[in-house]
Amino acid sequence: MAVGTIVWLGSEVMFFAGLFAIYFTLRSTSPALWASETQHLNVPYALVNTLVLVSSSFTCQFGVFAAERLQARSTGWKPSQWGMVEWFTLTYGLGAIFVAGQATEYATLVSEHITLNSTAYGSAFYLTTGFHALHVTGGLIAFLLVIGRAFAVKTFGHKEATSAVVVSYYWHFVDVVWIGLFLVIYVLK
Amino acid sequence: MRANAILFWVLTVFFAFSAALYMVWSLIYYGKIEWVGSVGLMLSTVLGAFLAFYLGRSHASQGGELPEDRLDGNIDDGDPELGHFSPWSWWPVMLGAGAALVMLGIAVGFWICFIGIAFTIICLVGWTYEYYRGYFAR
Repeated sequence: MAVGTIVWLGSEVMFFAGLFAIYFTLRSTSPALWASETQHLNVPYALVNTLVLVSSSFTCQFGVFAAERLQARSTGWKPSQWGMVEWFTLTYGLGAIFVAGQATEYATLVSEHITLNSTAYGSAFYLTTGFHALHVTGGLIAFLLVIGRAFAVKTFGHKEATSAVVVSYYWHFVDVVWIGLFLVIYVLK
Repeated sequence: MRANAILFWVLTVFFAFSAALYMVWSLIYYGKIEWVGSVGLMLSTVLGAFLAFYLGRSHASQGGELPEDRLDGNIDDGDPELGHFSPWSWWPVMLGAGAALVMLGIAVGFWICFIGIAFTIICLVGWTYEYYRGYFAR
């Protein structure tokens, strides 16, 4: 199951490679547009949002460690005693903050007249970050399903742990893609 | 596992030799180094070395022999735990129908998407929890 997930993530890499190619091609054909439009980006805001998403990868990994010792629920209030459910709930919260932050950023940019059909820059920006945000949202749904499975069983076994592990693979993948997008869109401009 | 590590070291040497040959050959033939193929071959060398080193380290720390290293090994000795696979299920068919409804909605009229999304969510939850309810509840 882990191998199948990795193969599928390989195809996802190809998908995002296509989106990056769209971005770079449009950027190379209209550098003047990029120079004017990237001034609207709020880099410190995006940096905070990025840090939220990166930290969610760490909380997700702690959830995996809990799942690997087949511990679904916490045995105490300390984070070292947390189970998979507590860690994944925290990860869900951080991921939800990221998506909400993205939505707020979109609203701000639209109010500054950068939309999907305004210019080539708008198309490239919303296509790349939009597809990424859709993937994050899919990951959030996957977290809910995995947490639900932990509640559905009396004893948390290897099957449930495996589904937690493969969802974490996906989450780390989405996180790494965002780091790439952040560097390309907000740092390189 | 020792055989696997050696195989990757052989590949590393092969790619290193190919990279050197390719660069010298292109230098003689075109008068300059062709960088795309050269970099590709050099990276293949590094990749082979990575895998060989990793397998060698794993073998040194575990010391475990794989079934394929043993002369008396059988096919099913190397049969890994594949996980749980459903023998049959209607849910993937329903899930496909849900996705088709969403696509139809995008093409024909967006109101169909709302029905499609609701239907897809029901199918997704039904599929994920098929072996967690009813007879299979545990």
